[in-house]
Amino acid sequence: MAVQPQPFSGAEELPLELLHGELVCSEVLLSKDKDINELLSKLEFIGFSTGYRLIERLLKESPRFKDELETIKFICKDFWTAIYKKQIDNLRTNHQGTYVLQDNSFKFLSRISATKQNLEHGPKFLAYTCGMVRGALANLGIASVVIAEVTTMPTCRFHITITRSV
Amino acid sequence: MTIHNLYIFDRNGILVYYGEWNRKKVPSMSKEEEGKLVYGMIISLRGVIEKVSPLDIKDNSFHYRTSKYKMNFWESPSGVKFVMNTDLNSPNVKELLRSIYTQVYVEYVVKNPLCVQGEFINSELFAQKLDEVIKASLSYTSRTV
Repeated sequence: MAVQPQPFSGAEELPLELLHGELVCSEVLLSKDKDINELLSKLEFIGFSTGYRLIERLLKESPRFKDELETIKFICKDFWTAIYKKQIDNLRTNHQGTYVLQDNSFKFLSRISATKQNLEHGPKFLAYTCGMVRGALANLGIASVVIAEVTTMPTCRFHITITRSV
Repeated sequence: MTIHNLYIFDRNGILVYYGEWNRKKVPSMSKEEEGKLVYGMIISLRGVIEKVSPLDIKDNSFHYRTSKYKMNFWESPSGVKFVMNTDLNSPNVKELLRSIYTQVYVEYVVKNPLCVQGEFINSELFAQKLDEVIKASLSYTSRTV
């Protein structure tokens, strides 16, 4: 009946998860005297640079995207899989430059809560990812604004609004 | 198998979680005092066991049984100690405590950036998952016994 523990199974994504958790906690939660928005935009900018470079690496072999929707779908599938080992669960659009990406069990939130507990801390863990999406789109020539919302942990939604595309 | 309650201590002896499923007797002292009492007892007991042991074995778990209940102790390599009181016919509690550690504690406390090491665990998700593991083990053994 005893199950032998596999050493380091599923530990490939662990450093990112732990690093991100520490980044949010030490930067945002513990520095009470600094303005929280300033810290969150710093985090978002770190995400922006990361996403910008990451998409370059991921698109080494892919052909150019036909249109905006194809790009967003790539973000939902391959980009998300490369980082979180899963895809976006739901994509909605109004075909006029607004997209809503829903992730039903977001990686960084899934260990914190499955209810309303700690809901106020939820958005802090999403700033980095918003930046990553914005950076990835920027390197593909699409300027956008990305905001995230959490209603119930661990489900979260990312709202992408395209401002100008080349 | 009946599980009465569970104490979890961190490596410094602070009680980080107490779970109760089936405790008939009302405790005569506060949770913190009881935690200190249990912790002191297991440290002393572990010391005696090692010193008096006729065999050269260093084990990370032991248990004692009275005529009414059995107290099981298991310690992780990182010093997290689990103390669980069960009824007398409960096999494999060591495995259960180890699986609680790997599947619940590591997943929902260690990986939770909002859980500060050394403080009482407030996460409802942890409590919920712990409950699930306990209930699953109860139904497993009642099927096989």
